[in-house]
Amino acid sequence: MLYLELFIQGLLQGSIYALIAVGLTIVYGLLRILHVAHAGLYTLGGYFGVLVFNITGSLVLGGLVAMLGVGIFGIIIYRLCYQPILDQPPYVPLIASIGLFIAMEELYRILFGSYGVTYSNPPLQDMMPVGGIYLRQGEWVTILASIVLIGGLAWLSRKTRLGLAWRATVTDAEMAESFGIDPIRVRYLNFFIGSILAGAAGMIVGILNNLVEPTMGSVPSYKALAIIVLGGLGSVRGTLVAALSLGVIESFGTIYLGEVLNRDAIAFVFLILVLMVRPKGMFRGM
Amino acid sequence: MEFKKILILVSTLFFSFGTSWADTIKIGFNVPLTGFAAADGESALNGAKLAVKQANNTGGVNGKQIELVVYDDQASPKEAVPIANRLIEKDGVKVAVSGSYSGPTRAAAGTFQSAGIPYISAYAIHPDITRAGNYVFRTSFMGEVQGRAGALLIGQTMQHRRVVVITLKNDFGKSLAAGFKAEAANFGIKIVNEYEYSISDRQFGPIVAKVRADKPDAIYASGYFFTAGPLVSQLRSGGVNAPVIGQEGYDGEQFIKIAGASAEGVIITTSLDRDSNSPEARSFISEYEKFSGNKVDMVSASTHTAIKVVVAALRKAGTISPDAIRKAISQTKLLAATGQISFNKLGEVRKNVEVQIVRDGDWHYHSTIRDQTLLAPPNY
Repeated sequence: MLYLELFIQGLLQGSIYALIAVGLTIVYGLLRILHVAHAGLYTLGGYFGVLVFNITGSLVLGGLVAMLGVGIFGIIIYRLCYQPILDQPPYVPLIASIGLFIAMEELYRILFGSYGVTYSNPPLQDMMPVGGIYLRQGEWVTILASIVLIGGLAWLSRKTRLGLAWRATVTDAEMAESFGIDPIRVRYLNFFIGSILAGAAGMIVGILNNLVEPTMGSVPSYKALAIIVLGGLGSVRGTLVAALSLGVIESFGTIYLGEVLNRDAIAFVFLILVLMVRPKGMFRGM
Repeated sequence: MEFKKILILVSTLFFSFGTSWADTIKIGFNVPLTGFAAADGESALNGAKLAVKQANNTGGVNGKQIELVVYDDQASPKEAVPIANRLIEKDGVKVAVSGSYSGPTRAAAGTFQSAGIPYISAYAIHPDITRAGNYVFRTSFMGEVQGRAGALLIGQTMQHRRVVVITLKNDFGKSLAAGFKAEAANFGIKIVNEYEYSISDRQFGPIVAKVRADKPDAIYASGYFFTAGPLVSQLRSGGVNAPVIGQEGYDGEQFIKIAGASAEGVIITTSLDRDSNSPEARSFISEYEKFSGNKVDMVSASTHTAIKVVVAALRKAGTISPDAIRKAISQTKLLAATGQISFNKLGEVRKNVEVQIVRDGDWHYHSTIRDQTLLAPPNY
């Protein structure tokens, strides 16, 4: 029973990683940018969620603002920060992104205070055991939300014309453009969707921890990079498998390896081991 | 990084402009104002500024006003040494206080020691800090000392036997756990299991699942409010109802805000008694809330105490010779918000440990640990 619980806890953590890392993957897949500031958008989702909830008392409104608001900020970041330097070598946007991320963290601290923000009336905290599995309501919502959001993304990219245009641009941007697809709009869409997922993850984690801190994104900023490398850079399916496996490995590792390695070290040991066997990550290709 | 530097520059300019024209006595102060420890840094800075303001309102030091020279160390050891050098050489401070964590304080302590400038650690608890030498003091408990107090509290006062230890894997958590484990058996405690987590962890699902299976009588968990808040709330909602015993890292209203109803009944060892009758503690509690708009916490109280010790030493020394200041600090006998302060040979503070409990959404008196043999810090 304990093993099953640890496994479920791992999937839970993994689905949060997945929400964050999928956004990073689709940005990388399209533009070959390592978008570190994605973790800053995730934090912003946490702030939007808690601030809107504390003012209005509505979780749904909080969730909408967290997702759509962060989605719009994602587009703004692309337009102001990345688009002007797209023709530069890849390390230029990477450095810009790291700088932007640090600036975002400090800006949150100045705007919202260094002590962090908590829910005045924390929602979804009650235990809801289902079939012997002890999870809080918020944790069930986390699992459900990641299935719905990532499933929705899969549906969008496989079953709609929009998704077709998107995939075509990822495969061959020039060819897609010659068929009348506007690459700029595809990029906006890309950042919008990726940032929506990050915003949702930020809000969820804010509820689970009942704490939104300026530095909330610092661990995801590098762990999500490890996950997308594990998943084979640019592969959404690979990212999902990598995120969930990492969650499970961390969950068992915290208990059985905790005295030797901390959670973050476990992630990178796993990364090194996988890359030794499969240098291109667990999956390659979309 | 550039952004942080500009911020630091602006803030130091801001802090120094107001008073730098006057003939003042400078106290150096390193504190984390940005980065992950910025919340504690804000409390520390407010505690220090309040102490300076109070000292200046009561005549300063021999007619001179006191000025706090503040630098942001981001709680990072690599920032702390250059800051210590700048304080000593550029600002020419003759005494300094650390309002920061163990890492930077430990790094800076060596620099102050070799320059012969007295340096007080306000709330950093690593044992090696005062071992830097005779110019380094500490006005809060060492981690080991507080860990021993935790063992007495759980084993003797509360009479719990089977205990799970959850340890924050940094020098704070490690030294608390070391002190706790060293004394546990003497108070009849059996440690069922120990789990470790890192300072960036906020999700404790796996540990909660395992602790539920361990069925302990009590949990000794080290951490800061931002880790302990989520931990306690996840333990409670995960169906673990054993009492949680923490330490000064929990101490503040923020822990209660994060953990909400789960915070009720949590007990900690710390240095500030909210229900104290001591006029020092009472006046600090009300003045601090007026001054900063926040409720008091351990960090602000400890930093306030450290500055107060410095001011008293400056007044007593009557000169700004570092040697005379060092001597005056070592002879401190002072009642501060955190209790009666005096130092042993190593520069470690000797005082009682206050035990506080959360009741009705606030910290309250639980008991006081006065066993001076158990609480004796090492002399070397």
